[in-house]
Amino acid sequence: MTAMAVEPGEWGAAVDLEDVNGRVAICGMGDSDMSKASGRTTRQIVGQAVERALEDAGLEPSDIDGLMYVGMPEQFDVTAFHEHFGTDHEIWESRRGGGMTGAATAPAFAAEALRRGEARYVLNTFGVAWATQRGEMTGGPGESHAQDLFKQNLEIPLGWFPQPVYFATIARRHMHDFGTTEEQLGAIAVACRRHANLNPHAVMHGRPLSMEQYLASPKFVDPFRKEDCCLISDGGGAYIMTTPERAADRPKPPAIVAGVGLGNAFTGTHWAQQPAFTSTPAVFSAPAAFAMAGIEPGDVDLFTCYDPFTIVTLMQIEDSGFCEKGAGGEFVAGDTLHFDSGKLAHNTHGGMLSHAYVLGISHVVEVVRQLRGEGTAQVAGCEIGVYGGYTGPQASTLVLRKA
Amino acid sequence: MATGERDYRIEGKITRAAFPLPDLTWPSTAQFWAGAARHELLIPVCDTCGRFRWYPVAHCLWCDGEPYTWERVSGRGTLFSWVVVTHAFLPHFADLVPMVPALVALDEDPSVRVPTRMVDCDPADLRFDMPVTVTFREISFTGVEGSVTAPLFVPA
Repeated sequence: MTAMAVEPGEWGAAVDLEDVNGRVAICGMGDSDMSKASGRTTRQIVGQAVERALEDAGLEPSDIDGLMYVGMPEQFDVTAFHEHFGTDHEIWESRRGGGMTGAATAPAFAAEALRRGEARYVLNTFGVAWATQRGEMTGGPGESHAQDLFKQNLEIPLGWFPQPVYFATIARRHMHDFGTTEEQLGAIAVACRRHANLNPHAVMHGRPLSMEQYLASPKFVDPFRKEDCCLISDGGGAYIMTTPERAADRPKPPAIVAGVGLGNAFTGTHWAQQPAFTSTPAVFSAPAAFAMAGIEPGDVDLFTCYDPFTIVTLMQIEDSGFCEKGAGGEFVAGDTLHFDSGKLAHNTHGGMLSHAYVLGISHVVEVVRQLRGEGTAQVAGCEIGVYGGYTGPQASTLVLRKA
Repeated sequence: MATGERDYRIEGKITRAAFPLPDLTWPSTAQFWAGAARHELLIPVCDTCGRFRWYPVAHCLWCDGEPYTWERVSGRGTLFSWVVVTHAFLPHFADLVPMVPALVALDEDPSVRVPTRMVDCDPADLRFDMPVTVTFREISFTGVEGSVTAPLFVPA
């Protein structure tokens, strides 16, 4: 092993969050239809997910008095909520929710509003219409990076752009430092695709992927094949948070928030300069969340994580403590990540690689579904499920358990 | 060292017709490109702690200091990682693919990684941590007028 040792304190840190173990429950959830380019708007997509979450929770639009989203264009803010449902009541709102890392940390911030009585039912949503918008070259995952002036002037002119290039560069170094192989990355893609083929709502349903097919696919960003990269999708999701007491009165079994963690990388999205080049800030978020929940990584039945690229899954598995740093390749090889392996079930809905690229919100919806026993690739005896969120500058960890 | 969320990002909408050529007038990197035009590789050094400030963000990652000075480095380094790109992610890259975007760790401080492209080599011959050296070349993009001198790298 030739990896340069970097002390955790030199590249990032955990963010202090208050202990919310047992204080928040998810009492309803819903996904929109997931698709390639569909012509829908972001708000139509999220509206559909919210309608389904309300039905799931047995609530009316007027019951929602808290709303969380993220400060990205076209998200489902209070104005959009009222326009969609024809309501006009007062709603507490926070931009510390949405998808990505916010899909994990929203409960930590909702807890305060619930405790103070500012809200009784807090809705968190996220959605994108990036598949539809792609043709217009607006929105989409590359645009935000291209608008970073350091990238515009020090990376893009040299061809180091966009995300598949960043993460293929990281993957290649991980292969060198730890002996990770293409087959091991492929095991992640194959597991997710198998789960998507069990999920009729997944965009890649009906498109099986074997290891042989994976290895035969051309490496368009060598060492990445297209199967190492997430989809570009239209879709969204929503979940509703309340106190465990109120959740007990809702029709579906609640998922209890046991732990939340958040970590920062000081170099932000300048991955080229991140001292711990083959790590994610899950190094900081996961131990914090597991400590809050009073669990060990070995207690986790289901690990969903933000999976823009196979290598990001591999790094988060290592950084969350499911195996030693550098041992992720060997850990994921074979059937480890499959729902029926009895090991570490992973992204049982198909993930962003094979379900839809909706930036993590559906991962939390899936954890809730699995804890209820309603999964399409149901993990036997699923009692503790984790979502790992990631943006690059941040990673987050959410631990949910059965009531 | 400093902690907390960094001011690493400065936003700017892409309105320049010359994109993805660099904006030679942007103050944070103007000296980098002016140096390249003279065939000099310049990297900023923090005036407060003496460490390299790469990228030239407003506050030093290590000491939080603000002023910095551009200094010429040798242009020698090692190949930290690379990819072989055959797909043009921007239409402007159409005439460049296949290309080999890479990160080069500078000999003066290997924690400084310069984004670049490897040229004049067969990607199959590249090795991790192999010695590489800077070469200054005119770069241009499909459908974009003009060119700029950029620091690319070749095996040493």
